[in-house]
Amino acid sequence: MGTLAAAQPLLIALILAWSGYGKLTSPDQADRTALPRLLGESGTARPGWFGASRAVAAYRGVAVLEIVIALLLLRSWAIGAVAAVALSVGFTGFLVYSKIVVPEASCGCAGKSAKPVGNRAIGRALLLLATAGLAATASTAWWSAGVGLLVLVVEAAAFAMLSAELDRYWLLPLRRLRIRLGHPYAGTASDDTPLVATQRRVLLSPAYRAVDGLLRSDIHDYWDDEDWRYVSYAAKYDGRRATAVFAVPHQNSTPSAIRVAVVDEEGLTLYRPTVLATAG
Amino acid sequence: MAGITAEASWFCCGNAWGPCGSAGHGACGTCNSGSMQHAWPNTSDACYAITRPDSCGITGMSRRTCGFRHATTSPCTGKRIVTSIADCGPQTDLFCGERSCCGGNCASNRVIDFTPAAFSALGLSLSSGLSPVSIDVA
Amino acid sequence: MTTTMDRRSLLSRAALGATGLVAATAMGSLAPEAAFAAQTPDAGQPDPNFAEGVITGRNQDLLQVQGSDGRLHRIQLTGVTSVWKLRPTTIDQARIGDGLYARGVLLPDGILAAEAIWVNIVNLTVAITAIGRNGVQFDHHGQKVVGHVQSGTTAAVYNGTPAVSDLSMLTVGRHAQVIGAWRPGTNEIDIATIYTSN
Repeated sequence: MGTLAAAQPLLIALILAWSGYGKLTSPDQADRTALPRLLGESGTARPGWFGASRAVAAYRGVAVLEIVIALLLLRSWAIGAVAAVALSVGFTGFLVYSKIVVPEASCGCAGKSAKPVGNRAIGRALLLLATAGLAATASTAWWSAGVGLLVLVVEAAAFAMLSAELDRYWLLPLRRLRIRLGHPYAGTASDDTPLVATQRRVLLSPAYRAVDGLLRSDIHDYWDDEDWRYVSYAAKYDGRRATAVFAVPHQNSTPSAIRVAVVDEEGLTLYRPTVLATAG
Repeated sequence: MAGITAEASWFCCGNAWGPCGSAGHGACGTCNSGSMQHAWPNTSDACYAITRPDSCGITGMSRRTCGFRHATTSPCTGKRIVTSIADCGPQTDLFCGERSCCGGNCASNRVIDFTPAAFSALGLSLSSGLSPVSIDVA
Repeated sequence: MTTTMDRRSLLSRAALGATGLVAATAMGSLAPEAAFAAQTPDAGQPDPNFAEGVITGRNQDLLQVQGSDGRLHRIQLTGVTSVWKLRPTTIDQARIGDGLYARGVLLPDGILAAEAIWVNIVNLTVAITAIGRNGVQFDHHGQKVVGHVQSGTTAAVYNGTPAVSDLSMLTVGRHAQVIGAWRPGTNEIDIATIYTSN
């Protein structure tokens, strides 16, 4: 236990240095956290778009404090450990405040991450608190911890798994690999044409250009019949209510193959452009 | 400024329903889905740093601030609307080279996002979501 | 249902040119501006011919909608109103608790006669963070959104090529734009179209 406690200051120092460096290199991240709200700067602006100076200053201040405590832990580990306990109590409190008061705010813990404060971020702060607490009980310096240092590898892995900022280095590649081995949607390909593909073909057609000024709605109805898919829109023709119906061939993909007619409520065909092939 | 042709989409704002609940009133604090407004990728340095139209090769994207008016015409429908800037966006750099067409008109690169009110006022379908437009100063 | 089938069959024949024209084609009558000469709203102002909000009441085909900007709307649906709810559907699908966008014509009595409504529609710029049998997990500005795949409806557009039903090229870590239908009261959507790269 003694060597384990003694080893902790090294890990805490590395984590604080990483986190402080992240904050110093992306000070704009302060606007996405709950700091502006905590410091009474909260506006209606979307976090991150415009600067909020007091929050940025406080954010930078915390970063400097983290680096100072990290250096202290490496040299005067006993004082450093007490300071780290105080800092992690502050972090945990801030994250809990953040989750309750500004749920959409991100943690800002180690620089760029838009993720709102979640259980992982709070868990990480608690783990840091526990580590700092353990370090405060150490009776020897970390450089004489010996095998205790090996345990740090396991602890560092636990920190990494709780860090959303590091997901892209291990979690996303792992998920990509799993999908490469068997994609959950491997069987979704089919010969059916999605409606959005038909809609796009209609928009590209001379037929659409011939009637676009008459259309009053989005797609009203659609159906398939043998070689064609039909798509209808509500339309107005000469002040009369009507329907514009497009016939889109399944096989022929040339835009000019698409036909259109405008039909009134009684079923009379009011308009059918006939020179589409040359209009295209 | 000569008009530019670009790809347009739509976004919601104003603490409305669904995933829009946390969207807020945009960078300008005025954005509402039901108003005639749009987002522009260069409203401030901080905004430009996020949208990065230069990474798609678009240089000289004018700095326009909240309330600035643009007139937009849809080559699909021939309709023209005037809208004002209410937010920073879209994230142009995520969609470099993406193209949408309407009739014989095509456009690449997302440089404008409209509120649902404005997008549908152009006669465009919210369900198709993307369309070429030509943008000018109102 | 029979009338729908009859109407569809009539429209099919008209589109294919199997019906006679009653009016000669007169391009002069097609001026699109004439139909939309209605006043255009001022930039930055609410559009009176548009409504956004949550459906709080429904009396037959008249919807009561509470707008997020504080406006209250009464929206009349008719047989010619186009209704989108994941796909083009019928007017009975607009339910209390649904979110909606509506475009139409504001009548003098304050009722919006809807020409098109889009129910629960969302358009999200996201990153794909996980793909599983139960759905695709997205990161939407830091918030988690779960997208469900609906067989026969969900389509993917890869690198701007025509939409296909094949979703096997979706990749974790990629950015995507998703048009979908929100499931009220949840952070879940049904995916209509996902635009991404592969």
